[in-house]
Amino acid sequence: MTPAFRIHLAAFLFLLLMVGGAGRLIYIEMSEKDFLQDQGDARTIRMERINAHRGMILDRRDNPLAVSSPVVSLWANPSELPEDQQSLVELSTGLGVSVEEFTLKMRRAESRNFVYLRRRAKPSDADAILSLGLPGVYGEKEYHRFYPGGEIAAHVVGFTNIDDVGQEGIELSFDDWLRGKPGKKKVLKNLYGEIVRDIMPVAEAVPGRNLRLSIDQRLQFLAYRELKSAISQYQALSGSFVLLDVQTGEVLAMANQPSYNPNNRIQLDLSSVRNRAVTDVFEPGSTVKPFTVAVALESGLDMGYTIDTSPGFLKVDDAVIKDPRNRGVLDLGGILAYSSQVGISRLALSLNEYDIWKQFQTLGFGEVTGVGFPGESSGFLPNRRRWKDIERVTFAYGYGLTVTPLQLASAYSTIASGGIKREVTLIADQVSEGERVMNARIALQLQSMLGRVITEGTGQKAAIESYDVGGKTGTARKIGENGYDDTRHIAFFAGFAPQYSPRFVGVVLINEPKTEQVGGGSIAAPIFSRVMSNVLRLLSVPPTDTREAV
Amino acid sequence: MSAIRLNTLVASEGSPVDLTVVLSAGLLLMLGLIMVTSASSEVAARNYGHPLYLAGKHVVFLGLGLAGLLGALIVPIRVWQRLGWVLYAVSVMLLILVMMPGIGREVNGATRWIPLGFFTLQGSEFVKLFAVVFLASYLASPTARYQERLSAYLLPLGLTGLLVGMLLLQPDFGACVVMMSAVLAMLFFAGVPMRYFLPTLFTGGLLVVVLIVLQPYRLARLISFTDPWAHQFDGGYQLTQALIAIGRGEWFGLGLGNSVQKLFFLPEAHTDFLFSIVVEELGIAGALLVLIGFSVLVIQGLLIGKRCYQAGFAFHGNLATGISMLIGVQALINLGVNLGLLPTKGLTLPFMSFGGNSLLVSLVMLGLLLRLDWECRLAPAVPKKTKVARNAK
Repeated sequence: MTPAFRIHLAAFLFLLLMVGGAGRLIYIEMSEKDFLQDQGDARTIRMERINAHRGMILDRRDNPLAVSSPVVSLWANPSELPEDQQSLVELSTGLGVSVEEFTLKMRRAESRNFVYLRRRAKPSDADAILSLGLPGVYGEKEYHRFYPGGEIAAHVVGFTNIDDVGQEGIELSFDDWLRGKPGKKKVLKNLYGEIVRDIMPVAEAVPGRNLRLSIDQRLQFLAYRELKSAISQYQALSGSFVLLDVQTGEVLAMANQPSYNPNNRIQLDLSSVRNRAVTDVFEPGSTVKPFTVAVALESGLDMGYTIDTSPGFLKVDDAVIKDPRNRGVLDLGGILAYSSQVGISRLALSLNEYDIWKQFQTLGFGEVTGVGFPGESSGFLPNRRRWKDIERVTFAYGYGLTVTPLQLASAYSTIASGGIKREVTLIADQVSEGERVMNARIALQLQSMLGRVITEGTGQKAAIESYDVGGKTGTARKIGENGYDDTRHIAFFAGFAPQYSPRFVGVVLINEPKTEQVGGGSIAAPIFSRVMSNVLRLLSVPPTDTREAV
Repeated sequence: MSAIRLNTLVASEGSPVDLTVVLSAGLLLMLGLIMVTSASSEVAARNYGHPLYLAGKHVVFLGLGLAGLLGALIVPIRVWQRLGWVLYAVSVMLLILVMMPGIGREVNGATRWIPLGFFTLQGSEFVKLFAVVFLASYLASPTARYQERLSAYLLPLGLTGLLVGMLLLQPDFGACVVMMSAVLAMLFFAGVPMRYFLPTLFTGGLLVVVLIVLQPYRLARLISFTDPWAHQFDGGYQLTQALIAIGRGEWFGLGLGNSVQKLFFLPEAHTDFLFSIVVEELGIAGALLVLIGFSVLVIQGLLIGKRCYQAGFAFHGNLATGISMLIGVQALINLGVNLGLLPTKGLTLPFMSFGGNSLLVSLVMLGLLLRLDWECRLAPAVPKKTKVARNAK
């Protein structure tokens, strides 16, 4: 073997190995390409969510009640942040924290790749910080739900959680409608999960739809303002106000106390979240007396029918039913005007108890209204086989059954509309036909009798200057540990305006006022008057006086 | 030969340097610079704050290496020949220094580096060259009658064996294999009788096998290498990522700069696994350029060695073939690792990978190769032709 031969042998061997390498390379590209590329994609290609815009909730005049606005959440990868003090000062100043605090926070998060600097910052603020151009600082686009109405419409509108899913109120019940469909895009991510580039959108984000409520923000504000000042003045536990449009069944305002600020729920008292006008039930007391009278009218009695309430008390079974004083002989309107317990009791005893029960049921007591609000109560309507006299009597003046303020308002709008019952709704332009459940003549007679409550009876504080209105007070004792409690009351007022061809029904409920006077006439009626007078003027309803003058 | 000066190098007729070597090495260096720039950009941006930080460093070492190349061109080869024993001593010292606590730096369980402030010296890169120079010098010395006396044959073997052993202590198994291959090839080319050579070859092979089996982590690497996808989250991680890079390349690659694996998925993308990124970005076409470049360079280097032998320059021939084998075997192992044909080693791709030591030593070797060729071609007479002719019989 010459050296030349040995070297040629080595060179040949080397070339052979190189060719073998090339062969291996081509073999990989030919036969394992698909497998390897799939493996590669599995490690690098990711689906990213494109957040979708949630639909707005608007009032009936297109004022926003819930809006999703774009925000930017700032986050950092602590290990990538610059070391020099000047950059850290700039960054922490932009974030509004001290450098020491910021450095400490970053040091604590050192082992992580992700730490939020600021959640949901205003885009302009976030841009200011991002434009510092510091490495390791990133922004992520999100949507923040903002409620311009604040606490005023909080109960109706409800709120969403941090993931933009409805939790309460309309936000919950119409979540599917409001919610957008998040899109997806394919992205290429590096080993640290950072998006290197967008590859292609897979599905566009579909924004949610807007929802227009029947609520009128102006009226909502009026109702809320009056209710809130009354509650604090009376130091009451809670209160509700419901305003319905008689012709459509739409809820124009629905306010409750206590309320909360949906934009800042850090210290949220859960009891303040309930939309009490819909979720809470009460014994309605005297506010149901007009319906008992309606049964009497249907049974053939006329408005002039009189009952002697002397001597101002009545013994039924073992109980004694009392009026504050002896009212003597009262016609049906008088019984309502003075809210005579004795009068209504005598009347009830002369009527078939099943007719009264049937009347209450027809007006919607004991059933959900169909407003579709989460957590709505149906109230309670007893269905007895055999009624004792005392049960017949108390039932007729509003004990032994429970209703929600909304149910009560709905029942009164049947009187106000001339006997037509319409489904109440919180959504604009969703008016149902309605059905007649009460004789038009009887409804008109009730309107006229309920006017006397204001002009001469217990509801005089509900009167509105220049307008005739109708309504009924109610004062229900609450049930305590030993049966009905003489110190804790619920004050009601349910009424409509104007008195004839009414356009609005309002129901006021004040729970446990801590005042000398606890009756609906002195506590609830003034709130009705204040709200309703503003509503009438705001919506340019012609005053009664001018109408008569024409 | 003392009359040879730099000016004659330029002024001599024909090409003063071997154009095949220059062009093939130049191709590898250019391609290497481009690919290091691409492959290191993300790592550099993340770890050093600028995407060109590592590429810039690479250029600096390229400059240093070219200076080393020029230096090697100027220095007469006989200087190297005389320095054989000195360089051997330096190698031993380097390897001892590396192992000294407080001097050597340990990275990932291997103590291979000596930090020198601006530069981290990797002893094994220099030791490989020095060992080859030493062996070339010994084999060419007329007093070493290794072809007749077993003891004279075993002496250089034992001495290089000592270096191999010290490299294993670091441990630097890759450098060991490269050095052993070069040493064995040089013995083979120098005309060692087969009765000596074959047992040596066998022993060397056995040693490699034993070392693999004895060291659990090497065995584990070997096992994970045979089925990387079963170990893709531990031992086989790097290899699977390299194979993915290769699988993405197809014929013409994803395009320069479009590598996905360099986004931190493939560790050492700009050093040991640069070839995978070449395939990913430039495809089979780019990879073939690399393979052709190394084939041409190494074979031409071997042929220079052959010409040196034929011209009667035994030391020149030994050194040229030794250097060619160092480059060739290291390239082969690196490519084999990248292609999943060999278990993972810490070996760079000569002339291409990022890494100052490797680049510097490779360029010095290139300079040596050119000088060897030049001296051999210029020599008018063949002073020791008779000896070579006798050897060849």
